[in-house]
Amino acid sequence: MSEEASSELTVPASPEETWEALTDPEQLTEWLVEDAELDLRPGGDLAFRVDGEERGGFIEEVEAPRRLVFWWGPDGDEPTRVEIELEPDGDDTRVRVVESRPLRVLDARGVEVESWLSGGSSPHMRAPELSAIC
Amino acid sequence: MPAAARADEVFTALSDPTRRAVLELIGGRGEATASQLARELPVSRQAVRKHLSSLAAAGLVTDRREGREVRYRITPAPMSEAMTWMATVGGGWDARLAALRRHLSRA
Repeated sequence: MSEEASSELTVPASPEETWEALTDPEQLTEWLVEDAELDLRPGGDLAFRVDGEERGGFIEEVEAPRRLVFWWGPDGDEPTRVEIELEPDGDDTRVRVVESRPLRVLDARGVEVESWLSGGSSPHMRAPELSAIC
Repeated sequence: MPAAARADEVFTALSDPTRRAVLELIGGRGEATASQLARELPVSRQAVRKHLSSLAAAGLVTDRREGREVRYRITPAPMSEAMTWMATVGGGWDARLAALRRHLSRA
């Protein structure tokens, strides 16, 4: 089974405004995190402080103002993949978030282990290795 | 066991290249014995057994005795832990999206 958690909500803003709120570090601190640093390009790093906890990760995909995919996780813990999609809905925007644990399927299937960990034991993988499991 | 603790154990178990190869072989075959694995790896059966114990301790593989053989297979992720995770993370995003909506309503 695929392990994913999802949530969606319509927000009173255009996709462009919503995209800004999702990607501008200053705006992120208004609703998501206490502190945000991100290099908004595929493979770019991100560092968030969420609920007093440091979370590191990287960006996988950037398609303004439609789709943002990143990986995040507390240091040394299993990173998860977050996929955010924006869809215009009249004057509003439908925001859909899916957070998944792609690494967890390895427990169940035992496949591709070598290809995703070949770069070392760090859970903070790099973008080129992702194609193997996504 | 809390999800974080389990994830740590899993990563420790997976930090060794031989153990990763063992897992990959078991995954590919569905089920395997230590002898079968040792034939395909440049390590002794003794060493394979040790790796299998670490993988079992991390909950990544389970064993099953069949006659004189012990067969290993990959453990599916425990359902209850998975469901807890989904509920917690999904609930977290419900709250975050509500905060995003409040933020955008003010803007």
